[in-house]
Amino acid sequence: MKRSFYLLLCITAALLLSQSCTEPQDFSQFEDLSITPTLATGLFYMESDEETINEAGSLVTFYSQTVNFDAFNEQYVAEHLIEGTITYEIVNTTSKQLRITIEFLDEAGNTLDVEQFDVEADPSGTNIWEVAYGPGGKSLDILANTSSLRITAFNFGDASSVSAQTEPKIKFKSAAEFLFRLK
Amino acid sequence: MRGRFYFLYLFLFGSSVLCAQNKELLYDFYEIPQSLMINPGVKTSEKWHVGIPVISGLSVQGATSGVTVNDLFANDGIDFTTKVQERVLDAMTRKDDFSTTSQIEGITVGFRGKNRPDDYYSFGMYGETDIIVYWPRDLALLAFEGNGGSNIGRSFDLGDLNLRGEMINVFHFGINRKMTESLTVGARAKLYSSIFQFQSIKNSGSFRTTVGQDNIYVTSIAADMQLQTAGVKGFYDIVEEDTGTTKKDVTSLFTNRVLLGGNLGLGFDAGFSYQLTPQTTITGSILDVGFIYNSKDVWNYNLNGSAATEGISVYLPEDIDNLNNDLWQELIDDIDAALPHGENQQSYISFRPVKAYGSIRYDFGEAGGNPFNNCGCGVNEQGGGGNRDYYPNSVGGQLFMMKRPRGVQAALTGFYQKRFGRVLALKTTYTIDKYSLTNMGLGLNLQAGPVNFYILGDNLLGYSNIADSHYASLQFGINIISWNDN
Repeated sequence: MKRSFYLLLCITAALLLSQSCTEPQDFSQFEDLSITPTLATGLFYMESDEETINEAGSLVTFYSQTVNFDAFNEQYVAEHLIEGTITYEIVNTTSKQLRITIEFLDEAGNTLDVEQFDVEADPSGTNIWEVAYGPGGKSLDILANTSSLRITAFNFGDASSVSAQTEPKIKFKSAAEFLFRLK
Repeated sequence: MRGRFYFLYLFLFGSSVLCAQNKELLYDFYEIPQSLMINPGVKTSEKWHVGIPVISGLSVQGATSGVTVNDLFANDGIDFTTKVQERVLDAMTRKDDFSTTSQIEGITVGFRGKNRPDDYYSFGMYGETDIIVYWPRDLALLAFEGNGGSNIGRSFDLGDLNLRGEMINVFHFGINRKMTESLTVGARAKLYSSIFQFQSIKNSGSFRTTVGQDNIYVTSIAADMQLQTAGVKGFYDIVEEDTGTTKKDVTSLFTNRVLLGGNLGLGFDAGFSYQLTPQTTITGSILDVGFIYNSKDVWNYNLNGSAATEGISVYLPEDIDNLNNDLWQELIDDIDAALPHGENQQSYISFRPVKAYGSIRYDFGEAGGNPFNNCGCGVNEQGGGGNRDYYPNSVGGQLFMMKRPRGVQAALTGFYQKRFGRVLALKTTYTIDKYSLTNMGLGLNLQAGPVNFYILGDNLLGYSNIADSHYASLQFGINIISWNDN
């Protein structure tokens, strides 16, 4: 009797420990995982005081520079970029109407796209432009093939006037927010 | 892709079915010789014991304090990305972890001193693997959501990266001494032979994108991060070379490391059992107070510094004559220089995860003579081992604490133990810790003549759907025990 009791206890314990089970799992769901982070970064910033613009003269380009810019055409970026927005912001406190132009150039120096921004003389507040890329916007190929940027600043005003603002300047800001598909 | 999938599967499944190092069922279960390994000062009754090599003590434990396999992979028709978002990214914190521990005893032998029957000596060798990975919450959010959109202004804590793991072989020798009828103390010296070790436990820093001072955004990073590894690169190089002798080379290196050919360390355990009254006993132990000096096959990676960028910046008139068109590369180079990073082979010391147990036990029931008579147990000897009252029932509480990279991890256990003579002893436990509030365990020790078999299982309720379990452990083993001269 006693032996039967022990045996029963042993069997019960063994069953408790061994009779584990699990609900069916579908590990193929992992293939459906979507990872799409939004990455933001400042791109290009340029500022100039009014004196520099005056010294360059009237109706002239007071700044022009081509810079290598391989951030977009890095293979990983080009392959995983889904869509994005480049935001441009200009604050002009000088007494002149100005134009800033951004050209997207490929490796051979050919122009892929141009963005042109005209701003009135002070007071013109903060001017913001948002340029979308991807579905509903410009082609992502522009970004993927961009190897350098040409930035040009042109003075439509005179070469002598001075704004009443303290430290009058043109400030050109830009930033990107891109959506990537990592998986 | 398939490889990554299987890695995730093994990681999550392994974590969920296997737990932390708490062995609440084995602790103070003195009918089982392996209880000496978690309290060198446990009451011992045997004259000698020998473990069946390799199968005298096997334990696998695993835990996840956050998501379970079932949470993610149940066939519930919910979009997988939604499940990851809601059950992992939104729910898990930096305190959540995945951990797994396994032990396999190679050799274990114990014997009572011929000239000093108060002493019970034990020695042996066991292998242990212990890995803990804290959920790197902010880094995961950065990967899944990015630094843009609603995360502008958010500071991502780089210190969320915290992980530690090792595989070691331990050679040990312990002495258990019955000081008085009431007090038994013990200590165990350990020699650690490391197979591999890695840790990244002292990271700090942040990554943040905010409104810039000049440009629209400024992105800043301050990092003090380090990954230390010892013994990993040797295996990695063999696998990477992928020669025809890969398997043989891995086995050879593994064997060499097991047998003291790798990094070595020292440590000790100590413990006691004290009988407050004939029916009340308190015990305590501290385990793995030790370290390993990692000087061979070391490969570390550091990232230390701070940088901030608003993109390419041009200030006129200062930069009017700067016709350099490599401003982008200069920016990259500047950031690179501000964040020194690289490899090194500096030796380091890794500390073993210290563990401590404490318990109070109340014995009750119809008292009788000790069934383990003729044990020749020293102080007991004069009474033939039977002078101590034997009670068939015990009830009590245990406290377990363990040093983890992010502080002490504790568990509280209540238990009931029933003994059916020498043949059978059962122990049931209820444990609460960070992994589970419903952890009920059952342990069985069976003595068939000199053959001792034990099996201990935790969190039995979780076995109904093991994929949904936060915690599980299983230990079993076979020993040969003698209480007399035969």
